[in-house]
Amino acid sequence: MSAADWIGRSHERVGARDRVTGALRYTADLSFDAALHVKLVHLGAARLAIKAIDRRKALEVPGVACVLAADDLPTPMPRYGPAFADRPILATGETKFFGEPVAAVVAATKDAAEAAAALVDVQAEPLPAVLSVEQALDPQSPLVQEPALRPGDALANTNVLREWTFGWGDTAAASAHLVIEHEYRFPMVTHFAIEPHVFIAAPDGNGVTIWTPTQHPFVLQRVIAAALKWPIARVRIVAPDPGGGFGGKGWPKFEPLLAVLALRLGRPVRLVLTLEETFQNARRTSARIHARTGFDKDGRIVSQELNTDFLIGAYADIGVRVVSKASYAACGPYRTPNAKVTARALLSHTTPSTAFRGFGTPQASWAVESQLTEAAGVLGIDPVEIRRRNLPRKGEAFIPNDTPADGDWSAALASAERAIDWHAPLAKNRGRGIALGLKSSSTASASLAIVRLHYDGSVSVMSGTSDMGQGARTVLAQIAGKELGVSPDRVVMTMGDTSIVPYDSSTSASRSTVFMGNAVIKACAHIRRQLHTVAARALGVVESRIEVAAGEVRTPDGVLSYAEVMQAGFGPPRGEIIGIGEERGGGYIPTHPLGGRPEFWEFMCTAVEVEVDPETGMVDVTRIVLASDVGKALNPQQVEAQDEGAAVMGVGHSIMEELILDGTGRIVNLGAMDYRIPTIQDIPRQLHSVLIQNEDGPGPYGAKGAGEGGILGIAGAIGAAVNQAAGVAMRELPLTPERIWRAIQSARAEFG
Amino acid sequence: MRPFTYLRPTSLDQMMTALADPDASAALLAGGTDLIVRLRRGHVRPAMVVDTKSVRDLNGDIIAIDGGLRFGARVTMTALVEDARVRDRFEALVEAASVVGSVQIRNRATLAGNVCNASPAADTVPALLVYGARVNVVGPAGARVVRLAEFFTGPGRTVLTRGELVASIDLPFPTTAAGASFGRVTRRRGVDLATINLCGLITSDGEARFAFGAVGPTPFLRIDRTGALAAGATDAVARDAALRTMCGAARPITDVRGSREYRAAMLAVMTGRAWKVAESRLRGRMGTRPA
Amino acid sequence: MSTANVPVRMQVNGRSLDLEIPPQHTLLDVLRDTVRLTGTKECCSEGECGACTVLVNGQAVCSCLVLGVEMDGQQITTIEGLASEGRLDPLQEAFVSTGAVQCGFCIPGMIMAARALLSAKPKPTRAEVQEALVGNLCRCGGYSRILDAVLLVADSHR
Repeated sequence: MSAADWIGRSHERVGARDRVTGALRYTADLSFDAALHVKLVHLGAARLAIKAIDRRKALEVPGVACVLAADDLPTPMPRYGPAFADRPILATGETKFFGEPVAAVVAATKDAAEAAAALVDVQAEPLPAVLSVEQALDPQSPLVQEPALRPGDALANTNVLREWTFGWGDTAAASAHLVIEHEYRFPMVTHFAIEPHVFIAAPDGNGVTIWTPTQHPFVLQRVIAAALKWPIARVRIVAPDPGGGFGGKGWPKFEPLLAVLALRLGRPVRLVLTLEETFQNARRTSARIHARTGFDKDGRIVSQELNTDFLIGAYADIGVRVVSKASYAACGPYRTPNAKVTARALLSHTTPSTAFRGFGTPQASWAVESQLTEAAGVLGIDPVEIRRRNLPRKGEAFIPNDTPADGDWSAALASAERAIDWHAPLAKNRGRGIALGLKSSSTASASLAIVRLHYDGSVSVMSGTSDMGQGARTVLAQIAGKELGVSPDRVVMTMGDTSIVPYDSSTSASRSTVFMGNAVIKACAHIRRQLHTVAARALGVVESRIEVAAGEVRTPDGVLSYAEVMQAGFGPPRGEIIGIGEERGGGYIPTHPLGGRPEFWEFMCTAVEVEVDPETGMVDVTRIVLASDVGKALNPQQVEAQDEGAAVMGVGHSIMEELILDGTGRIVNLGAMDYRIPTIQDIPRQLHSVLIQNEDGPGPYGAKGAGEGGILGIAGAIGAAVNQAAGVAMRELPLTPERIWRAIQSARAEFG
Repeated sequence: MRPFTYLRPTSLDQMMTALADPDASAALLAGGTDLIVRLRRGHVRPAMVVDTKSVRDLNGDIIAIDGGLRFGARVTMTALVEDARVRDRFEALVEAASVVGSVQIRNRATLAGNVCNASPAADTVPALLVYGARVNVVGPAGARVVRLAEFFTGPGRTVLTRGELVASIDLPFPTTAAGASFGRVTRRRGVDLATINLCGLITSDGEARFAFGAVGPTPFLRIDRTGALAAGATDAVARDAALRTMCGAARPITDVRGSREYRAAMLAVMTGRAWKVAESRLRGRMGTRPA
Repeated sequence: MSTANVPVRMQVNGRSLDLEIPPQHTLLDVLRDTVRLTGTKECCSEGECGACTVLVNGQAVCSCLVLGVEMDGQQITTIEGLASEGRLDPLQEAFVSTGAVQCGFCIPGMIMAARALLSAKPKPTRAEVQEALVGNLCRCGGYSRILDAVLLVADSHR
């Protein structure tokens, strides 16, 4: 098998065998002999004024080491966060969301910690809570964040954390043949990775080590260092492969608390959240989007006005970035001559929202795609055709001065149209829908990789990318294998330990294949350059007469393996050759609203077919076809599996998932019993993925990124299909049986 | 979970003695699929958990009795759905038991436990009601038989007094040919708790029995003997009126699974569907053609 | 009356174990924390997700809904007990080859549930596989490759 064969092949997933045997150690499986167990104390509503915390009974439980509360921490309370350092180590004065801990119990056993936590007596009084977009915008509502935390911020006396206006052209002056105007809603949903959150911290000689399945070890490292006021070098993060991340394990949650506990007690401390606590601590940003879209008589978009109000939680986490990034590109993959997007990030007394696959785009896409579908209906234009008419050509700028359309998007649309038999007749109660999704990949980020060529020609790759199921380990090994002419089985990946791997911004934005992949390629090129020098010196030949290819060095006298070159060059003292690669993409652009141009666009066309039971409102998604523009699929099976998984995850927020809050901000359907995600009986009969590969991406061998596309447009496609099947236009997700039933009843009442 | 004492009596006498302790609250453990969840959530805090699985006098067998089947206290949902006699004579009970949780749940959950847990949404109960189930209770004061229709007193509450437990559940074979159908509405296709559930049974005598769950504080049974719901009944107006009367006693509430209005509407829809299926199954047995 | 540990003898993956178990510890707690077999995973702890599925006397159960003390005299098989002498069970091979494994956290429970199904019913239909696995949640993969894997093994059964 030649080196070229390792790219574009569905090489067996690295780590799959350990996963099917139960041998892989996830963070909760790690053994720490002297570890103490942590149990959080939190209260029954979102916003409660803490009057008193009585620890006496808790401290009497045998084995309890301490009960930490705000009064044990410095004043002012240390705060942390990846964008704004607004989140306290423990709630101080009042709780800001349902599940925010007011105390942390540490004990020798899990049983003791649990027993003691139940005995911590908290006197608290309810306060009115801000729980919705409307409440956040109401000037009479209480402020979620103290203005003193936002010095110099003109919005400090509002619950608007940030606001933006993006756009071009003049939407007010644009004249349209048809204007469609509606309000859309996207619910609060939670990641529900099958692995709940887990955090372990221990003091070590240098400082502190934290074990947690974080997607972004280097973000965590700097946030911990800042919270402790330490140099970065003293903080070590060890990030075992997550059991699912989807953005929920990206940004710091309880690691600062665990670091404080570990240092205070001088022992390793371990916190495993229950699934309920995990739900309380990570969710997607919910949104209310007002869309006013103008079309000409041929269905071409003339103007697009969007008011995107995102309800972020009590603390910013990465919510501000979600809002700005999604809103900037909210008009979607369409020629939009006049655009105006007014976006707001709104604070509320709810779970801090964080990154979640799609990063705000599913919310925007729900609105924009639904508008297009409606226009198609009114104008009598086929929904596929109306999109075709609005798609920019490859190379065309659709956002002024920014990365142009970088793929043959019409090809993906045509592929999906064919694969779902778009024009075939439909049975009764059945409908089809199509939607496009476009997400900006990474802007202004950095990945470094170190590759080590060992004396025997085997290879180690050190990379900060997190493999949370998308298969990064495998793809990076394939790349190193191809570049150095080594079978991926002779490539060992080391990931996730900041004391070993070099800096990487994050595993997010579908960026890793491109950024880390390119970094690995550059590191391998660096190795080849060094081999060139070593070979020339060892053989006494000028460099121009030596060629370093993948896996072999060609000299005037014949071909040598890399190992032979090193043996010749290093002799008995041996050695190794280390390559370093760095990829920064287009770089940081301070004047760009997002800090940089999208390195590539992630484009997905989603087509679905559904059947609706008109009497019960139940939706059966019978077919899903996905056509994604991936540039080059380095491991096709892994890309398809990601697209499929994203689509089924999206079926969740489309038809069944929603966190329901009561008036006090308590999550009513907390836990797996009443927060329903798709099961194996909820999937379509046909789930089919098409990969458009024109090798036109900025990544390795023409690759772009993938993994989020499947979740971007699925709600819009399902909404359109439900409309065709049942004759109802839905604007609020999820499309539960009851919601559809109600819409059908209303339509009957109105139209007889 | 909070600590408790675990007892595993081997006879009913031993069990009664343990349950009779006035100073120690006790919970009975059969399949565990309800109890362990409640223990974890702290909804119950018993001093002791008494395991029924070693009590000689309680068994996991389905035995033939005069005119029916007796389901021992330890009969699991899996054992029930796999039993050929139950599949043959009590089709709607099999339909209901098949949707109680997942396979993992059904391998442990017992029929008796499902009944004693007394959730208004218990899936097996509407089927048991239309089949005329009788509950054999044992306790410190001796044994008694309670008709299932009189067994529930409120959400999570039964007529069982302290120290009493269910030894078995009897289902009489229908005395004439009958067709039955179980139906429910859920939020997703996969395993779920019922928004509403119900079971309809029609006999060749023209009697129609319908039982409903999750639309009131307890599941309840209604019987129509007017003939309007008999097999082959052609008067659709009378039939719909009779079905509406059946549903009339429902008192659905609004909760996280559904609103009162939706539940009421689904009751009407699913009752009609259950009637159609039950009616066609009965005609299949009677060998008659559709009306 | 005391809440003392209860002596339990159970067989785990063919090995007989004599343990002293606190009554309130589930079989899941015992397997992971006492016996140190961490292949069985904890997620919802309420029997809704299937991540903790093991076989008890050959039947698939959620180990979070079984007390350790109930397991006296019982035979338990965990994911670690499937492969024999280094050779993977056909289900394990199939899960790898069809691309059913992504993050992997649901996989041990999924494979145990599938193992129980195929032991009782070697050639299930697609619908029967779905019914047997409906209690096992996966968030990464969309399930279709898991279905493919189980049906692949079923098809190859002689």
